[in-house]
Amino acid sequence: MTERAPVLSVRGLSVRFLLPGGRRIAAVTDAHFDVAPGECLVLIGESGCGKSVLASALLGLLPANAQTAGHAHLGDLELLTADERVLARTVRGRRIGLIPQSPAAHLTPVRTIRSQLAETVARLTGVRGRTALRAAAEQAAERAEFPPGHLDRYPHELSGGLAQRAATALALIGDAPLLLADEPTTGLDRDLVDRTVDELRRHVDADRALLMITHDLAAAERVADRVAVMYAGRIVELAAASDFFGASGPRHPYSQGLLQALPDRSFTPIPGMPPELGDLPEGCAFAARCDRATDACTALPPFTGSIACHHPAPAPTPENIRA
Amino acid sequence: MSADTTVVEKTVWRAHGTARRSTHTLRLYVSAGLVAVTALAVLLLPPLVQLDQQAVDLAAKLLPPSWSHPFGTDDVGRDLLLRCVYGLRVSLLVGVVAALTATVIGTAVGATAGALGGWADRTVMRLVDTFSSVPHLLLGIFIVAMFRPGVWPVVISVGLTHWLSTARIVRAEVLSLRSRPFIDAAVSGGASRWRVVVRHLLPGVLPQAGLAAVLMVPHAMWHESALSFLGLGLPTHTASLGTLIQGARGSLLAGQWWPTLFPGLFLIIPTLAIAGLAGVWRERINPRRRSELSL
Amino acid sequence: MLELRSVTAGYDRRAPAVRDVTLTVSSGESVGLLGPSGCGKSTLARVAALLHRPDSGEVVLDGTPVRHWRHRAPRELRTAVGVVFQQPRLSADPRLRLADLIAEPLRATGRRASAEDRVAELADTVGLTPDLLTRRPHEVSDGQLQRACVARALVLRPRWLICDEMTAMLDASTTAALVAVVEAYRTSTGAGLLAVAHDHTLLTRWCDRTVHWKTVTEPR
Repeated sequence: MTERAPVLSVRGLSVRFLLPGGRRIAAVTDAHFDVAPGECLVLIGESGCGKSVLASALLGLLPANAQTAGHAHLGDLELLTADERVLARTVRGRRIGLIPQSPAAHLTPVRTIRSQLAETVARLTGVRGRTALRAAAEQAAERAEFPPGHLDRYPHELSGGLAQRAATALALIGDAPLLLADEPTTGLDRDLVDRTVDELRRHVDADRALLMITHDLAAAERVADRVAVMYAGRIVELAAASDFFGASGPRHPYSQGLLQALPDRSFTPIPGMPPELGDLPEGCAFAARCDRATDACTALPPFTGSIACHHPAPAPTPENIRA
Repeated sequence: MSADTTVVEKTVWRAHGTARRSTHTLRLYVSAGLVAVTALAVLLLPPLVQLDQQAVDLAAKLLPPSWSHPFGTDDVGRDLLLRCVYGLRVSLLVGVVAALTATVIGTAVGATAGALGGWADRTVMRLVDTFSSVPHLLLGIFIVAMFRPGVWPVVISVGLTHWLSTARIVRAEVLSLRSRPFIDAAVSGGASRWRVVVRHLLPGVLPQAGLAAVLMVPHAMWHESALSFLGLGLPTHTASLGTLIQGARGSLLAGQWWPTLFPGLFLIIPTLAIAGLAGVWRERINPRRRSELSL
Repeated sequence: MLELRSVTAGYDRRAPAVRDVTLTVSSGESVGLLGPSGCGKSTLARVAALLHRPDSGEVVLDGTPVRHWRHRAPRELRTAVGVVFQQPRLSADPRLRLADLIAEPLRATGRRASAEDRVAELADTVGLTPDLLTRRPHEVSDGQLQRACVARALVLRPRWLICDEMTAMLDASTTAALVAVVEAYRTSTGAGLLAVAHDHTLLTRWCDRTVHWKTVTEPR
């Protein structure tokens, strides 16, 4: 199999915040992952684990008190050092399409969906002229299956599902090779979650990749090709979704605990709470909550490319993959 | 393998958005510095420098700025630097007290209207609208005209005409806070109406009300000056920035610029400094900025 | 018993969000109310917590018909129902430290003296460390804040709990932990529960009985 160059390649990405009084918050530490064309990578983690900060870092939307280290290459562009003009003119919308957490808040409340689509089309593509823009806006709506009859409505007149489709239509206009969805299903019903992620999945094709950030494991299971689990700012497991949610199961004790907490599994929580990002322990950040912790866990487990744990469950062998 | 080396490798941190931060702090320092200098001058200079601001020296009238009189002298030979400091003192006092009066009235009215809602809210806000439709300088003139000239009529006049905008701001803020689930939670936890207002609503609007109060200080100073300039504010022998500018009208026509310029600068510079400080404050209480620290 | 009889409620009398809903929760029972978002189930939850006056219909709490709502409802009635809302960020006063947030109902009802012990006890129950108790809402995560909100709902030992999409913003582990806290409280006190959510799997696992929104609104 010939590997194509990844759409996004993240190497050793770290983000920290400097707080008044010299406190430091290590929001993301040493993240390594690739997103290949045609792939859907889902980043899983609980709120406050740093996954949204990672998304902001990729989009160059970090606040003034943030510092970054490492690399994030989008094709040949280094996202972390690119200046704001480059990011605004060539990256956001054009090379990364953002699907926001709350579409209703993302859309301009005082303008119709049609005019917002037309404006984005005019900004991102060469289309000019009233009728051409009108047609292009309708086409953009169609791609996200936004019903044409609702184009002249204002965002507050749309249901949650339609608002999500409108936001998706906006994100798709620039034909960006990478779609970045930050908690796209928060607060939606199960049916709507399924429909939303299925639609997102539909837009992943030969040239386009999807990076989705969520805490919703069921949504992740539905769309992911690969899963990255984030804990206390670090990626602790990176696995094929079929293994992770399938028979062989996750390998990291934290991922195992998360899956077991689901109401259709054993519905038991992982004991304790994640450590503070401003006060991380020296060794494995999960050791305090881990029932398999040993003396080895006082040292930081290196990330091998698929897992960061001193005592992971065995890797899936070809037999149990088939099983 | 590569993972091992990254741990050893020294992490190179890059900062983000430093440019915005530095202009931000620069504005804060300049504004705070100017406000501090003004406050010190007004508070300390008069007791430290035992000079009589009223000392008339007809032989030295209308002298241009020089070493012995840095701001020059006025038409009866009084030192203008001294007069300006005393004038600023009076103007600031009027400004601060009037702004506080207006803020207290505005907060009380706005919070009551917002917290009660319903017909009480509608009645109060229609009243506020009615008041607002009258030009407030006119209303202020009407009020000062009922008293003898002096500091207090000016304070009352400015205070009574400037609480309307604060009331609007506070009411809007209370209304937005009132519909939040945390108020529901407080009610469900047995809090009385009074407790909800005092413990949850008022502290929530104080930053906004405080900002309005700070912005009101220069506004009130300008009003004092306007009233005094029209001869309705303070008596002419009391130095305030308004009376100084009013008294200098004649000399300006004769080409003597300093008696007008320096009181004018004393009015403009603290105004800009206070507005700058309020701008920084506004950004601080803006939720967008606050969210910078959240993950 | 918590009885909602033909309740019609909403923010606009011409288009009520809740139309003619009848629902009964027995003491000690846990009932899950399942419905799509925007169907009006949050409005019904507020009615059941005596926070919103219904346009018509009746709410009977342990045999007492409710005549007044919000501040006007008698304090014993209001505090007999504990509520947890969907969004912890909006349901916590941004200026209060978590310890004060949890203790607030005790202070509001004149039980200041017992506050310190009760807060420590509840913090332990919901899994908040003493360090977290000294922080303000913006310094903690959604999950941690929701833990505090659950503690606040339990602080007055209510006989009824209303959980309106309590876990919609939370990860799997925190969801399981908070459901366990609510269930432990119910087992020890015999309190009744009305859990409103859109997640079928969650409600059937959590509650004794799950009813669908459609079945409670249909005319009998």
